[in-house]
Amino acid sequence: MSASLAPECNDVKERYDSCFLKWYSDKFLRGNAKEDECAPLFKQYKSCLDKALKERGIDTMIQEAREDNRENDAEHMKGS
Amino acid sequence: MKVFSTTNEFDYSWEEVSTGNWRKYGPWNEKTPHVIAVDTLSRSVDPSTGILRTERLITCKQSAPKWLNTFLGGQDTSLVYETSYVDPKAKKVTMCSMNMTWSELLSVQETVIYKPSISAPNTKTQLEQTARITALCGGWQKVKNSIEQVTVERFSQNAAKGREGFEMVLEMSRKVFAEQREQRQRQLRKENTAHM
Repeated sequence: MSASLAPECNDVKERYDSCFLKWYSDKFLRGNAKEDECAPLFKQYKSCLDKALKERGIDTMIQEAREDNRENDAEHMKGS
Repeated sequence: MKVFSTTNEFDYSWEEVSTGNWRKYGPWNEKTPHVIAVDTLSRSVDPSTGILRTERLITCKQSAPKWLNTFLGGQDTSLVYETSYVDPKAKKVTMCSMNMTWSELLSVQETVIYKPSISAPNTKTQLEQTARITALCGGWQKVKNSIEQVTVERFSQNAAKGREGFEMVLEMSRKVFAEQREQRQRQLRKENTAHM
């Protein structure tokens, strides 16, 4: 798996990534993704990452990108 | 504006490609060392459509030529914002990404779609990749054209490397998966003989 931009988050990111990958191939693709068993790990990873993004001033850049991406969301969340 | 667009076919099922896609920039890919980090910002499954939406932040080593980098402020990394949508029923992965660095001066909007190939939907996957590159800075048309030209050239080089690297990831994933399956079967056989 790839590294995090914040080295201090690498550990928990790796644990989350492997949890997600297993969930994705074993559950999600087979149509039984009822609960998100990786949520607790993601919460840990996110709290580490959010801190790093804030320190680097990237959080506001992300907000702007999100705004610019609304059209894509509207188009691709419709489903088949 | 300049448009870069390409299609390609992978000799792997859509399930393999869409799973391998999450590992694309990991250690199995030796072709894209310019991607330094990939972070997940958010992830959720839409309860009504079943679509998995993921937001990621991709950190790259700056690959712009020196004259352009100096012109644009001289940073050593660049950031890309990516959202992806996986529709497991339609078997379609759509990834949209845009540059966050230099976004006042240059807009790079990329869309990548993976879906089962029409000729062999169970064993092959098709890739469609399109990028729209627009220089936004005011001033000379000539400068804008050069910036767009350089960007589209870099983009197409990186796209080719990305495909090669992804092939490596898919090959490794298949190997590892086969090994794991064999291990499980060996374990099962062992358990069965123990019970006899």
